[in-house]
Amino acid sequence: MSHAQDAAMDRMRGSWEDTYRDKWKWDTVAWGSHCVDCYPSNCPYRVFVRDGRIVREEPAATFTTVEPGVPDMNPTGCQKGAAWSRMLNGKDRVTYPMRRAGERGEGRWTRVTWDEATTEIADAMLDAIEESGPRTILRPGTTEGGGQAMALTNNVFLRLGATVSDLLAEVGDMEPGMYITFGRIGMCSSHDDWFHSELVLIWANNPAQSNITTVHYLTEARYNGAEIVTIAPDYSPSAVHADQFVPVRVGSDAALALAMCRVLIDEGLVDEPFVREQTDLGLLVRTDTGRFLRQSDVRDGGSDEVFHLFDTRSQRIAEAPRTLELGGLEPALDGAYGATLKDGTEVQVVPAFVLLRRRLEAYAPEDASGVCGVHPETIRQLARKVANKRTRIITGWTMCKSYHGDLMERAMCLVIALTGNWGKKGAGIRGISGGMFDGAYSLPQKLRVGQQVTEETFRAEEERIRAALAADPTLTREMLMIGAGSKSGMESGATPPFFFWYNQCGYRDVYNKPSNNDPGMKRRFDDYVNEALAKGWWKGLEHPTVEEPHRVLFNIGNNPLRMQRGGQRMLLEHLWPTLNMIVTLDFRLSTTALYSDYVLPVAQHYEKTNFPYTVHDSMYLTLSDRAVEPQGEALSDYQAMLLIARKLSERAVARGLLEVKGADGRSIRLDTFYDDLTLNGALASDDAVWDEAIRDSAVMGTLPPGTTLATLREKGWVRFTGLGAAPLSLAGASDVRPDETFTPFRWQTEKKEPFPTLTRRAQFYIDHEWFLEAGEELPVHKEAPAMGGDHPFVVTSGHLRSSVNGMHSTDRTMLATTRGKPVAHINDRDAAARGIENGQDIRLFNDDGTIVIQARVTPAVRPGQVVLYTGFESYLHPGWKDLPHLETGMVKWLTLAGGYGHLRYRPLLWQPVPVDRGVRVDIQRAT
Amino acid sequence: MPTMTTSKRQLGWVFDLNKCIGCQTCSVACKVLWPGEDPGTEPMWWMTVNTQPGRGTPRDWETMGGGYADGGLRPGRLPTEEEIGGGWDFNYEEVLAGGRGQSTYLRKSSGQPGWGMNWDEDEGGGEYPNSYFFYLPRLCAHCTRPACAEACPHDAIFKRDEDGLVLIDEERCRGDRSCIKACPYKKIYFNPVRRVSQKCIGCFPRIENGVAPACVRQCPGRAAFIGFLEDEGSAVSKLVRRWQVALPLHPEFGVQPNVYYVPPLAPAPLRADGSRDERGERIPPAYLESLFGPAVHTALATLKGELEKRRGGASSDLLDTLILYHWQDALGHLRRDPAAIDWTSETTKGHRR
Repeated sequence: MSHAQDAAMDRMRGSWEDTYRDKWKWDTVAWGSHCVDCYPSNCPYRVFVRDGRIVREEPAATFTTVEPGVPDMNPTGCQKGAAWSRMLNGKDRVTYPMRRAGERGEGRWTRVTWDEATTEIADAMLDAIEESGPRTILRPGTTEGGGQAMALTNNVFLRLGATVSDLLAEVGDMEPGMYITFGRIGMCSSHDDWFHSELVLIWANNPAQSNITTVHYLTEARYNGAEIVTIAPDYSPSAVHADQFVPVRVGSDAALALAMCRVLIDEGLVDEPFVREQTDLGLLVRTDTGRFLRQSDVRDGGSDEVFHLFDTRSQRIAEAPRTLELGGLEPALDGAYGATLKDGTEVQVVPAFVLLRRRLEAYAPEDASGVCGVHPETIRQLARKVANKRTRIITGWTMCKSYHGDLMERAMCLVIALTGNWGKKGAGIRGISGGMFDGAYSLPQKLRVGQQVTEETFRAEEERIRAALAADPTLTREMLMIGAGSKSGMESGATPPFFFWYNQCGYRDVYNKPSNNDPGMKRRFDDYVNEALAKGWWKGLEHPTVEEPHRVLFNIGNNPLRMQRGGQRMLLEHLWPTLNMIVTLDFRLSTTALYSDYVLPVAQHYEKTNFPYTVHDSMYLTLSDRAVEPQGEALSDYQAMLLIARKLSERAVARGLLEVKGADGRSIRLDTFYDDLTLNGALASDDAVWDEAIRDSAVMGTLPPGTTLATLREKGWVRFTGLGAAPLSLAGASDVRPDETFTPFRWQTEKKEPFPTLTRRAQFYIDHEWFLEAGEELPVHKEAPAMGGDHPFVVTSGHLRSSVNGMHSTDRTMLATTRGKPVAHINDRDAAARGIENGQDIRLFNDDGTIVIQARVTPAVRPGQVVLYTGFESYLHPGWKDLPHLETGMVKWLTLAGGYGHLRYRPLLWQPVPVDRGVRVDIQRAT
Repeated sequence: MPTMTTSKRQLGWVFDLNKCIGCQTCSVACKVLWPGEDPGTEPMWWMTVNTQPGRGTPRDWETMGGGYADGGLRPGRLPTEEEIGGGWDFNYEEVLAGGRGQSTYLRKSSGQPGWGMNWDEDEGGGEYPNSYFFYLPRLCAHCTRPACAEACPHDAIFKRDEDGLVLIDEERCRGDRSCIKACPYKKIYFNPVRRVSQKCIGCFPRIENGVAPACVRQCPGRAAFIGFLEDEGSAVSKLVRRWQVALPLHPEFGVQPNVYYVPPLAPAPLRADGSRDERGERIPPAYLESLFGPAVHTALATLKGELEKRRGGASSDLLDTLILYHWQDALGHLRRDPAAIDWTSETTKGHRR
């Protein structure tokens, strides 16, 4: 018999082929997703189970077309998703409760029972409550862990009156420039709307790496005729598929944007009707004070929040409407006018646009080019393109992590404002969104189980809103919800962490160090803190004080020791010694877990029923179901917290502590805490609580009627039908239509609804006293302070391709797709000048710290730039010293401003947030 | 004597390099599904994505020979373990429970530490600001003239009649490794535990059940297409045959591969003064030609021409095909949802035993 015949015989037997065939098979399939802070998340997966074990997963790819003529969203997933099942059995997995057996951080553990663990934890909580109330228990806000962590466990802490810090402040994703401009940060379209763009500016963002599931809409928009421009210091993975790469000097983006604005004005390319209607640039400003001409200036008892314009039709000064509906008015954008004040004084007033034009005198393309490094002709071409095309700026959360990121964002917003690029398909600038799953976030308010009570509450609330809108038709639902203090979203109950950092974590010295601050500041940082406090701008929010520290720390889904700007040392030196109990609930041993007193095993993503956070970018509620039982003694986050809650009640009764007062004066029953939390056990199971949240959401109008956990188990996902009640969601300001992409701000352009800003318009002129003092009443370019000291390299950052916020960075499969260790990207000529070869270890150092890391040498990086992607677990670095050790954790003083229209503390929106981009370092070979 | 057989139908893969974002989802999807952590497979990645220009995986594979020259097999060599790299494990126990605190840290404890399947990620070439790179996904090309099959002294490699997949019969394989030397793409690995050669199996168990291969079905960039090249309605056929914008990699290797690439566009370069040189090429055309042959110039011209038309408002069948309004159109006839398979049904191919 010949070889060939032999081979044919073997093939007929086919046993090796059957081995492969058999390998692919499964017993059951469940819906899965990955409930992590991988904005926008919500990838429906199928999880395959065989012999009781999860063997693998695959994107479901069952989305249907939303808008005809727009590509569907399939298949949403990525490499992390493709290997999630590997993390189930990772060697960093936690499957039993563990108590520290050595020093914190030493890495010695004793296995304990849940009962032992919860007893000791509950006792520590009660000790802390007895010392100075429940808010001494801190649960830092987190964007990780989906609804289980972000809603269900948060609800436990909120009910207890514990401190839950603001999640966007913790992760640094608050966008101050967008907030200053729009009074909201929610200009988030659904991704498929990206397809409608004619011009996309990928600006300070790297979606090819950090938005893997959605970037196809950019490549497809390009095939649909759009032009893609990437504006970044480095030739990033997102420059690869662009038509144009605009290399910009690190931190100079505002100069580029303002030069584009200058060109738009010089060349008559401004969309004036849009500017008049949508922005404050037609409002009149007094030239004597630099403040808007207010009704209170011209009339006794007049309002501080009514403004004026010069109507070119009637040729007189008129009060500006409190909505965007101008009626017959046409605000002048130029000229100077006389106004008579209430005391008879004559003052000169000019439209804010005049002041803008004056500001832009410094930004002629030739001049700005010297600042930002972009050729003047390129600046002109870009401006002309934006003026002529439906333009979207795709940006992310790098700007807002830059010291003057607010100015960069304001300047970018100005570019799209002058060109009429929002409130229509394919246009806008990307912010951040959230909400819609109102049933989950309103659970703490629930007093009875079932939808009847929801219906009653919802109807009463709608009644209240309708009455308020009837009483003042210039208000919006969003403004009312902001005013009421949201109870339906992620913002509910959050505390700004600024005073925690300032008083408890050693940041007061950092904030006051002159070299960390804007050299143009007129006063010391603390002067501004004291003034802000004296003026009551942060009244009631100064907790914790120096005297009243937090005593118990719960980490659920978050990993502060990896993320903290300034490095673990800030927390380990200043915070850790004051904590009596540190508890981490996680499925894996993070850096923070290693420094905890207790590590409690949480079910991994496919071992519990959960939902990723919900955002306009996807518009779906996506089920991640329990495909198998949790390993070992792991429990879902909710079940773990219920065990603690039950033990807390039990131990409280034992010590006769039946009731405590929350910081808000609210009385909290400890003896019935568990029963109250679960509505007497009715919501004690994951299935029951989720079904309730889903049914409630349907009642509240954000999910189709009839949606239940059971219907989700059939289909895996459901598209939201409304924005709901959370301000962060209402900020999208458009109807959710079943057959259209979601395009934000249509309520502004189509219904002329006002913005929730002081002037009710997109506000580019901020006449707050501090903004005037800073010279930042209008967008301006300012150099960032030399944070880290006077060193020649600037660090930029972004998300690691292979890991979501550190959790995959220790996974073998994901490590195999990298160099298996952290790297710093440096320019090839910089490397040559320092005798550094690709793959060698280097020392990166500045005044704040030193880290040792491997060099990746590439011409893609701009000379003088070091790219350090975030998301490597600290313990992957020698001495566990990672990128945050080089970061100062500075905050910009101006974000302490308050007492002015929308510039007052708002959860998720306005408060000081640490910056980390743009620190200075030097580089040496590590020998 | 060559064991050449021409299949009746040939499956083709197309990767649109203008959509590929180098995310490694295809690589990982394949790794998790097939080689996984089976003994001897640790360093194996049947599917890989590398940054070009670069040394790739195995390191400098393009210099290792194989394929055909002058009508016969061209000599090739085996990549070394060090050139393949990877296969790492890490000192988890020591760091997480060893009681050593910050005196140690998580690092490689086994495998080849100095190279890996994606070592030179995002490095590329050129000089800033005219740096350039792009991503190149690679798998077994299921060649029409598979040099591996011809080189195998045990006739362990065969080409399937029904779809043209080239498979290694792992029972006939004697671990001779001639196939690895002969493969010019170096997409065959040696399993030292089982002493057999292993490579991409074209996801044949999925294909037999109407389901697209994992690399294609999981691609979030929607850059991957599969289908029969003979099926005129398939996207791959349109791209390879009708529009001729999808080209084989290193056609000079002579194996007639069935994995095709839409070659990469790139942003216009900048002149020394920083202005945009709209007529210039960021990626040197000669470099692209060295990868895809002279046809790359025509393919790019076609693509640019259609883009120009589209920007002028005209329709383009080519661009509509690449846009993929309906993702399933990337999958040719392999559109079945795997979750719909019932393995207990007797009619299912290879039903679960």
